[in-house]
Amino acid sequence: MTRQDFILKWLFYALALLPVWWMDTFVLGRFPVLGVAPMLLPVAAVAVAVLEGALAGAGFGLAVGVLCDAVYFGGHGFLTLGLCLIGWGAGAAAQYVLSRNFGGCLLCAAAGLVLIDTVRVFTGLFTGLAPLPALLRVALPEVLWSLCFACLLYPWFTWVRRRIIHFLRL
Amino acid sequence: MKDFFRNNGALILVIAVLLAAITAVSSYVLQGVPNPLANVLGVITTPIRNGISSFAGWAEGIYNYSFQYDELQAENARLRKEIAELEAKAREGEADSKENERLRTLLGLRQKRREFDFESATVTARGSSNWASTLTLSKGAEQGVQAGNCVVDEAGNLVGIIEEAGANWSTMITITDATLEMGALIARTDSTAVLEGDFTLMAEGKLKLTYLPENTELITGDLVLTSSMGGNYPSGLVAGTIESIHTDASGMSRYAVIVPAADLDDLVQVFIIKAFDIVE
Repeated sequence: MTRQDFILKWLFYALALLPVWWMDTFVLGRFPVLGVAPMLLPVAAVAVAVLEGALAGAGFGLAVGVLCDAVYFGGHGFLTLGLCLIGWGAGAAAQYVLSRNFGGCLLCAAAGLVLIDTVRVFTGLFTGLAPLPALLRVALPEVLWSLCFACLLYPWFTWVRRRIIHFLRL
Repeated sequence: MKDFFRNNGALILVIAVLLAAITAVSSYVLQGVPNPLANVLGVITTPIRNGISSFAGWAEGIYNYSFQYDELQAENARLRKEIAELEAKAREGEADSKENERLRTLLGLRQKRREFDFESATVTARGSSNWASTLTLSKGAEQGVQAGNCVVDEAGNLVGIIEEAGANWSTMITITDATLEMGALIARTDSTAVLEGDFTLMAEGKLKLTYLPENTELITGDLVLTSSMGGNYPSGLVAGTIESIHTDASGMSRYAVIVPAADLDDLVQVFIIKAFDIVE
């Protein structure tokens, strides 16, 4: 793959992320299910990581994490590191342990979302935000509702990947 | 193992750790001001957010015109009647104000004064996190907006407080956010209390009123205003009304659940109070 192909490939992935970010920011927050809005960007990072492997997963996760921390309120760098680790872990798991398919993506997304919300719950407990049951009442539906979007995001990024391969004749 | 890490993004992980540390430190140091990257992204995305917000407003207007025309007509007629009643009350109030002014002059009291320096802004995005209640506004530091400024709706009801002011955008926490804490005044009894966000109530769009006065009977529907306690926020802004009164788990103290007066779900335009001068 040439340098130009490399840049084009990730430009396509970045463009594919735009509608996901738009849905996450402007649409789904307005229509909560079980009282919560889903987290689409971590699932998107996992989907790309599963398709592209550990190294690319870490890079894409890092970029998505930086975007999340910059655009969303109160990240404080947590998502920069978190999504990079999740992308790396998901990519490595899909590459060496699981298979690169929807099932693998679902497992990795579940693990990633649980990791994010575990940190949030512990932070909430540590800062005295709310008692554990109240925090879990948000965390559990959030993880489950976000996981449902893996059914859309994995096929979406798989289609984008196929288009990239076709376009760049890789 | 070493090769595995070398071939699989150890360098990226190191970069992530460094970036996360820089973001965390800059958030801590630049209280109320976003870090440079967040500011640049905010500046770039603000026109997009404004466009989307305007389009959504336009589409909503078309929908309302097409499908809720009768309702809008009825509402218009009701509002006209209300305006006529309020105008009559304002005329009566004007005479009372003049009398009050004369009496204050006679008694040598300072004139009451409420002056606000407003900045109009539109809500360009709603926070999509389930862990905080935030709104992004279309005005920022370039327009004189600062962290800690109060935000009200067109009726003067408290909406929230600016938490972070970027160049041409700002992020505010709404009054239902779990981290909010400010002085309050119960209008009927003239007693002070504390408005506090509560994580559980945040999902229902409500908040708590704590440190309730011990010997005062509060009733459902009591109006809760901001107080000038601490001098950070203007007094007399309507926060909401008491919905119910409860005793906490320890059984030692009471708290009230407050329903905000501002309709936080359908806000389009808000007013940021950049400066205020109140003499009571």
